Amino acid sequence: MQKKGIKNRGIGENPIPWFLPLLAVLLLVFVYPIIEIVRFSFTDAGLLDTNYSVTLESYTSLFTSPGFTQMLIITGVFVFFSVTFQMILGLAIALLVDQGMKRKLHGTIVIRTAVLTAWAIPGVIIGIIWMMMYNEADSGVLNYILSSLGIADSVAFLSDPVNALVSVTVANIWRGTAFSMIMIYAGLQTISRDVIEASLVDGANAFKRLFKVIIPILSPVLFVNLIIVTVETFNTFDMVMALTGGGPGRSTEVIALSIYNSIFNQFELGQGAATAVVLLLINALMTVIYFKVLQKNQEVG
Amino acid sequence: MKKSRLTTFTVLAGVTVLFTACGGGLNEAAEDMENENSNNEEENNLGGEENDSEGEVVEEPGVLNWQAIPPYSLQATDEERVEYLESAISEWEEENEGMEVNPMVTTSNISEGMARLQEQASQGRAPDVAMIDSYIFPRFYDYLQPLDPFMEEAGLTIDDFFPFAQEVMTGPDGNVYGIQFTTDVRNLYYNTELVPEPPESWEEVLEIGQELSEDGYDAFMFPGGTDEPTVNTSLWPYFWAQGGELVDEDGEPVFGEGENREIMLETLEYLEELVDSGVTPTRVTTYGNEADLNAEIAGGNLGMFIGGNWQVAQMREILGDDADKWDVAPIPHKDPEDQTTLAGGWVWGIFAEDEEKQQAAFDFITHTFVEDEGMGEWATIGGYLPTRESLYDSEHYEGGEFSDEFSEFLNHAEMRPAAESYTSISAELSNAVSSVLSGSSSPEDALDDAWESVQ
Repeated sequence: MQKKGIKNRGIGENPIPWFLPLLAVLLLVFVYPIIEIVRFSFTDAGLLDTNYSVTLESYTSLFTSPGFTQMLIITGVFVFFSVTFQMILGLAIALLVDQGMKRKLHGTIVIRTAVLTAWAIPGVIIGIIWMMMYNEADSGVLNYILSSLGIADSVAFLSDPVNALVSVTVANIWRGTAFSMIMIYAGLQTISRDVIEASLVDGANAFKRLFKVIIPILSPVLFVNLIIVTVETFNTFDMVMALTGGGPGRSTEVIALSIYNSIFNQFELGQGAATAVVLLLINALMTVIYFKVLQKNQEVG
Repeated sequence: MKKSRLTTFTVLAGVTVLFTACGGGLNEAAEDMENENSNNEEENNLGGEENDSEGEVVEEPGVLNWQAIPPYSLQATDEERVEYLESAISEWEEENEGMEVNPMVTTSNISEGMARLQEQASQGRAPDVAMIDSYIFPRFYDYLQPLDPFMEEAGLTIDDFFPFAQEVMTGPDGNVYGIQFTTDVRNLYYNTELVPEPPESWEEVLEIGQELSEDGYDAFMFPGGTDEPTVNTSLWPYFWAQGGELVDEDGEPVFGEGENREIMLETLEYLEELVDSGVTPTRVTTYGNEADLNAEIAGGNLGMFIGGNWQVAQMREILGDDADKWDVAPIPHKDPEDQTTLAGGWVWGIFAEDEEKQQAAFDFITHTFVEDEGMGEWATIGGYLPTRESLYDSEHYEGGEFSDEFSEFLNHAEMRPAAESYTSISAELSNAVSSVLSGSSSPEDALDDAWESVQ
């Protein structure tokens, strides 16, 4: 009887059996596809061809292709501005909603729900919604408003290479701000009232309270959010595909969209896989930085 | 009136897109529009979302494995098409006792469906009879059965087909390997109230266009996005008309060298001039296919555009009686004598080894899609153009208002090359066009980049 009890406790205390299902799932849907992608990136495989040979051509043609540097720059700009503004706006909305809740103002729940909606809509639909907004013909919403107000006649939101990148980034900021807001709002709920009250007693004004008290306390949340949002933005392609298809020319073709185009439109699995490996390395680098900084933060803490 | 129509159009387009994107298709209006667009989408869809094909080849005597693309199958969203096909199948099964049609459907991603069919054919696993995209049909000659004896017996002559179709249907050994049964064509549309006489050359397009744009109109448009319709309407016809070749006999790209390069460069420079002179607004780079121009047509500010024959029905729906002021003409070329255009369409090919099945397959497709009644009715229902010239005078074909003109344009039509390298040539050059139109690259740089990328 006693023996059995000990045995049972043994299984309960041994973490390995509990991790096995997770491990199996990770191997199947995470590790195996990654190995396959890396393997294919060293071949000249087509999506539908069963025959292929091992070669470095996918990488050499990727790195020497005329659009490669441009694609990296475009992706960099897209990610940098998307992440920066998603964080800033997410923080601002979270603070507003938090204050609203504390002051028991009407409508804060409505605002929270409205912001969340943007996050819940699929990327393709967001692309189409913004396409209607940016439409450059008379039926375009933004151009109609701008011309009615007499501000501008017809803005080339999507047909000018620079404007198109700005437009896509703005749409992505709109899409991603909600996620940042949710994360930061949750973080704000963990801040103890005492700390804020103490800073009030010390005579800190709103500006100081935000930068000297709230943001430092929130920093782990902000940091996790930063990494998640960055990786997510690097991987974004659905909205861009629906909004501009990467055009005009290749001026909004981010890395993830280029992977999709290579594999599913041109059936070049090898080339697409090589591009995917580049993206994987960028994301891995981001994750490493995340762990390093987190570790450092914890040590300091 | 104009505003309200525009609003209705925008809302309708939005709803359509939303429903299509959601995979819904519950809304009747959305479905209608989807059907009309499917005509050109099947042509233009070199990529797109994946859908699994349906149906398996059944290796049994008496079973005819018949494969079509979704809009031509029992899974079409248009009821009229399904009704026609259902009755054609049951009629044929009644007439051929002991025979049964096994309907199969490809994926909605045409390129993928065709690549799969090619793989099946090379392994001897293809359906008995299958629909093949006309321009890549030559890749299938080796796997297909010659149809000459069947054609003779059915009283069909190859001379009745348009020249481009004859070329596709006839293999290198002179035998007929398939029957092209639908087609479509690209042409100039012009608003007769703004443009009384259509331009016949590049020079005239620029001349008329500049006058129109000075008066505040959008003079001349065409798809200019990074998709297949851009090259189909606004690059290949110009390039071919001047004698340009995209690939050599082995299917290797040659558009970027020698004389071809000069011709391509000149064509891209023309497109650049259209934008620089204000004749064409840069927003055409946001239009990935012909139907995207419909909002501009509805807006009432457009003078001329290059589109496809299927847009006649769409314009009638959008504009009502106002569609009367639109007329069609050949695409204006550098040389006013040229009338080169691009045709697409679909071909039936028979893979069956068994002679009885070959006969059965031939009977079924001729009955349903090729004979006067079959071709006429199917083209009428689907809004396609018949591939046999005699059909245009047939009582069975109710062509639209411009069917005589389209039949004339088809005599000058060419097809895209069947080479495997075409997919990347098309992708790179549609990017080049889009870059030139948006001003992000000079014609020379855009061409060099495209050439380097396909090497």
